Amino acid sequence: MLEPKHSLRLTKTRDEKARMNFVSGLRGYVLNDLANDMRAAFETAVEPEFRGRQKRAPKDGREVHKAIKENEHFKFYSSLRVTAQDMVWQSVLPPLERQRDELKTKAHQLEAKGVGSLQLKPTFAVPRYASAIDVHLMPGNYDSEFDQGDLSAGALYDNGLAVFSFGLMGQNLDDIGQSIARFVRAKYPEFHPNNILDLGCTIGHNTGSWKDTYPQARVRGIDVAAPCLRYAHARAAAQGRAIDFEQMNAEQLEYPDASFDLVFSSMFLHELPRASIARTFAEAHRVLRPGGLMLHMELPPNGQLSPYDAFYLDWDSYYNNEPFYKPYRDLDPQTICRAAGFASDNYLQFVIPSIGWYGEQVWAEALREQQSVDSDKTGRLTDGIRWYCFGAWK
Amino acid sequence: MEITGISSGFRGMNKAKTPLRRTIRGGRHYFFADPAIDKLLAMLVTLASEVWAGRERLAALESIGVKRGMLGVGEVDAHEFDEAEEAALAAQRKEFIDSLFRVIAENRTRTETPEVRRVSAVRKSVRPQRAARVSIKKARVSAKNALAKKRRAR
Repeated sequence: MLEPKHSLRLTKTRDEKARMNFVSGLRGYVLNDLANDMRAAFETAVEPEFRGRQKRAPKDGREVHKAIKENEHFKFYSSLRVTAQDMVWQSVLPPLERQRDELKTKAHQLEAKGVGSLQLKPTFAVPRYASAIDVHLMPGNYDSEFDQGDLSAGALYDNGLAVFSFGLMGQNLDDIGQSIARFVRAKYPEFHPNNILDLGCTIGHNTGSWKDTYPQARVRGIDVAAPCLRYAHARAAAQGRAIDFEQMNAEQLEYPDASFDLVFSSMFLHELPRASIARTFAEAHRVLRPGGLMLHMELPPNGQLSPYDAFYLDWDSYYNNEPFYKPYRDLDPQTICRAAGFASDNYLQFVIPSIGWYGEQVWAEALREQQSVDSDKTGRLTDGIRWYCFGAWK
Repeated sequence: MEITGISSGFRGMNKAKTPLRRTIRGGRHYFFADPAIDKLLAMLVTLASEVWAGRERLAALESIGVKRGMLGVGEVDAHEFDEAEEAALAAQRKEFIDSLFRVIAENRTRTETPEVRRVSAVRKSVRPQRAARVSIKKARVSAKNALAKKRRAR
């Protein structure tokens, strides 16, 4: 069974573990087997029917969505995916509820080690786009607090993500961070970042990889959600990583100009409205020193995917409480980098094989030869996943 | 005011402990023509999860039994119940199946108990009243239509 590999890990009964195993297995079945069935239904029934009617193929994800909605494969895939998503969190909540106080005690003990730091703001206002609904159906979202100094949202996310990802995000849930940070170090051996900032870091699961890869660097993680940051701080301490966590909005960074060598984010931009993305990029540009790198691990943009694959990823925007997911993915990454002041020539993007799934050898091949973004493996939680990232040098 | 450390943060200050929330703000979507199908599917999958939990628990028990020398490998598969055990299990199985199909069984036996008889008697007495209400409504509608027809004719 996949579960967090640190001392904050929740203790689960035999039955609770079995339920988590079941949900992981169910998700694996839905996202591999039922997803393949749905694609086959599209190719053999939905698309031919569309062509017969319209005398052309669907032109984008929206048209695919409209055409496939009445298909039974879509309905079973979708209904079971929503149920499985709900069950992920429901499988963690009972052991979490039981161990809330114990978790807090452990976090205080870890804090006493004095590894890294945590700064929360007494008057911080969580932006409405991050607090109004429960993103990806997680009850309480990232920011809800159910008692003083609560860190249950962080624990729910950490333990839930382990169930959710059925191994595809790595044993320590840091496959994204490990695959990308090590890729950057191997690809740009001359680049030695001393100050690294992770935007929207939640529980810091991918922040730690930068500390591992560049041990001499000062690594900071910011987020708007206090319970996640409390947990991130304790989690990093439990794993012996000195990281500074601060409660801050990426749209208004409280750092001087030219103070970072690397500004990173993972799975973050798609949680923001477009205006916030623009402000976040402008801030990233401001705090980067000349020669610094802005890099975002994200879902691949619709403009670089086939209509079907665009629809497949847009599913979350329609049905997984991800209202900004599609609007974000409809943007062109290069255009938004340019709008924030990065020169077009300095744009870069990579498709990086998951180091955990493919192993070092295949991962290293991507350093020499890049694969197309348009694939049913890019940015999609499925066997053979490859991570997409883009950004620009300042 | 302390602003660093795990106990800090405005929204968590002096907040009394309340249970973690289990419901989803923003709700969930339904996909079948009747949302009841989505709900039934969710129940089925939850039940399957419990069935699976039961199987893992049994596997754990067998494994412990084997490790402690109380069970041989494959002993459970090879096990035959004696006659008394077989009879007890058969009775429990019958009870289980009866309770599984209780909803259908209730329909089957509804005229048999005094209580059901009482309820159906009440229902029957209500039925004519309902029929009367319907016929009054119908009469009103047809009168209205006739009036409208007359107006149009004028």
